[in-house]
Amino acid sequence: MNPQLNFRGATPPRRLSPRRTTRASITVASATALVLALASCSSADDGTATSESSTSASASASASASASSTEAASSDSVVALAEAFAATLSDDQLTELNQEYTFDNAANWSNLPNALVAGGGPGGGSGTGRVGLQTDSLSDEQWTALEDLLAAATGTAENEGFDEIMQHLAADDYLADNGGGDDYGRGQYFIAFLGTPSDSGTWELQFGGHHLAVANTYTDGALAGATPSFRGIEPMDTVEVDGETVQPEQQERAAFAALLAALDSDQLSTAELSSSYGDILLGPGEDWAFPETSEGLVGAELSDEQKELVLAAINTYVGDIDDENAATILAKYESELDETYIAYSGDTAMESAGDYIRIDGPSVWIEFSMQNGIVLSGAHPHAVWRDKDGDYGGLTS
Amino acid sequence: MRRLALAALAILIAGAAPLLAAAPASAHVVPATTIELDVHEDDITAAVTLPTSDLTTASGIKIPEGEIDESTADAIAGYLGDHFHVSSDDDAWNVTIGDIASSETEQWGTGLFPSVTATATLTAADPDQLRSFVLDYDAIIHQVVTADIFVILHSDWAAGEVESARDLGTITLDTASGEVSPLRVDLDDGGLWQGFAGMLTLGVSHIAEGTDHQLFLLTLLLPAPLLAVGRRLRDVAPTGRAVRRITAITVAFTIGHSVTLALGTLGLPVPQQPVEALIAVSILIAAAHAVRPLFPGREPLVAGVFGLVHGMAFSTTLSSLDLSGTQLGLSLLGFNLGIEIMQLVVVLIVLPPLVVLARTRAYTPLRITASAITAVAATGWLLDRIGISNPVGTAADALGAASPWIAVALWVAAIAASLHDGRAQQLVGLRRERVGVDHDEGGDVARAHGEPAAHAR
Repeated sequence: MNPQLNFRGATPPRRLSPRRTTRASITVASATALVLALASCSSADDGTATSESSTSASASASASASASSTEAASSDSVVALAEAFAATLSDDQLTELNQEYTFDNAANWSNLPNALVAGGGPGGGSGTGRVGLQTDSLSDEQWTALEDLLAAATGTAENEGFDEIMQHLAADDYLADNGGGDDYGRGQYFIAFLGTPSDSGTWELQFGGHHLAVANTYTDGALAGATPSFRGIEPMDTVEVDGETVQPEQQERAAFAALLAALDSDQLSTAELSSSYGDILLGPGEDWAFPETSEGLVGAELSDEQKELVLAAINTYVGDIDDENAATILAKYESELDETYIAYSGDTAMESAGDYIRIDGPSVWIEFSMQNGIVLSGAHPHAVWRDKDGDYGGLTS
Repeated sequence: MRRLALAALAILIAGAAPLLAAAPASAHVVPATTIELDVHEDDITAAVTLPTSDLTTASGIKIPEGEIDESTADAIAGYLGDHFHVSSDDDAWNVTIGDIASSETEQWGTGLFPSVTATATLTAADPDQLRSFVLDYDAIIHQVVTADIFVILHSDWAAGEVESARDLGTITLDTASGEVSPLRVDLDDGGLWQGFAGMLTLGVSHIAEGTDHQLFLLTLLLPAPLLAVGRRLRDVAPTGRAVRRITAITVAFTIGHSVTLALGTLGLPVPQQPVEALIAVSILIAAAHAVRPLFPGREPLVAGVFGLVHGMAFSTTLSSLDLSGTQLGLSLLGFNLGIEIMQLVVVLIVLPPLVVLARTRAYTPLRITASAITAVAATGWLLDRIGISNPVGTAADALGAASPWIAVALWVAAIAASLHDGRAQQLVGLRRERVGVDHDEGGDVARAHGEPAAHAR
């Protein structure tokens, strides 16, 4: 496999501890970080998909939860860790956490801070805000259990998956402290179980807030869909939060820019869209509305090197989910590369407001849009990964 | 009686609630085009606000910072005209674009952003088609496909909707087909009666929310239950006389503001800032008068003169609606009637407890305190309205929210005072029986005025 698929350099991945963590949870976090570091080093060495990394998720699971799920199959540990997290909650918190498995609840995600979602109106989402348990009510112990659950459901690569989410929460703290105010910060996120976590039947693990939507649907213990998966970030520039470097979405931008830089001028002009884009097309609420006609440059016209770059860009989103499932999904998208279109608008550097790129395949749909800052002055990205069959695990209404 | 007052207050609050809840009707977060429609008798005006950066991207027109020069304005008007079509039953309407200007706009969650504003006048071939049409508008979105356009009903006289912000729909890209579909607009059935009722409601809410108008009238009424002797407020006036005086003041204020409301609405120019400042002055004078009479016995005249000033302010609300013909006549009638109804409600809620409390020793400190607070509020407003913003003015604006509680407090105090008074009368009666003193008319006032205090010892 091409080394560009592994974004694990020599530096070990960092696990950011939330502000409120006690010494005990920091110990758990650093122990996990050590395991993650070992796992990612070994996988970087042999360059294969990371079954070891999955074990590390289970390892972090056993740090705080029942050690029953020792096998690498992540869905088992997700259910076990979901139960372990729920076990730390009060009755009132559980009432918030446990929501009905319905399309309305599943589709009730947004890129906006919850205060703006709750405000309602066009572009403002449901008007009632997110469902689920808000993270501002969580104790340190409950945060640790939640992080263990998220770690099991997400990828282990540096700046992707779990690490990306931890950096994302720190970035929102940065926004809160730098002009965003009380509507921002790690306490403004929501965790919800749509349906009951179980190895039989269907349920969705929903975690989201400003610029973040995690939507993992599990059917009979297996991952049935990991989309719509929204990732945006402000600040896009690297910042320091509590001594940690925060830059969760930069390698996505770099992967898209590298892909466009590798196209020749004929390919670029084929890939360039005539329309302009101020945002992604298929944001919240735009469900099952994929364009009937694909635009841009078709994958069959690409060289092998260029295809690897497409795959690398795709992997910056697919790699956000647990490593085993990510490998499966990536293999499917790879098999469809010849019929997958690349299209862009604006500049190829993907750095300025108005820059936009889309990967549109038989199954995969990824959009990345740079737009003006909201709290800060610099441009910031919105991105969504959707799957034309797998969004919401196939639930359409 | 108290229950009645609470019921009246509930109606008052209920009347104001929809106006408060209407605030964030369109949440964009990303700067967006808005088209706000004012539906008139013969045409519709559309106030269009476009984010400048999107407009430049889509039209290619370079828009300089600051004022827009004539050739740029012509280019923008031409571009908008190309992308703005309205029709009913396949009959094309006439669309004229004007008033191109640069501005700074803030939408919900966006912060200030540079924008271009324009006014489009939409005229149907047949006025009957005015209430149902297709808005084929795709400026900006033909190129910037994510730039949704929010169409909002700002006013529709015939449907009784004024100062509204109702979403009529969003012009957006159909992502599956890649098409931008025109927006069909079907306005609610309207008529003269709905329009009239809408104006009446507007008049009611204008007074319900107009803390300054309420405060002027109430402060002027504050000394009405008392008799002025020279420059001092002495005894309590007999109830009948107090009511007559209150009626005269209220009627004079009504006549005054009706005259200028009509003149201002019909086109007499109203200098808004001086009028607003004069209103603050009128409250200040009323407050001074309530402490020490400046014009004893001439309250109706003063109410009438200042009524002229308040009426000018009322008229700006109506003239901003740009009405004509039948709608204008019915609006004047309905809006004024609404003002009178609400004014009457306020007087009926506040006056009875004042008349009762005027018979107690508590009235003097109450009157002085209320006047002092009013004077401070009026000074804050006055400074605000001559361009010196200050925290007192801002705080005074919030007084309106407290007014229901003030009314409740007055009623509670009045009821407590009259119960107390009743018991005092009983005791006095017993004592008089014992010493064999007869009741007489003359002793009534003295007893009501002096005895409760004596009894309190």
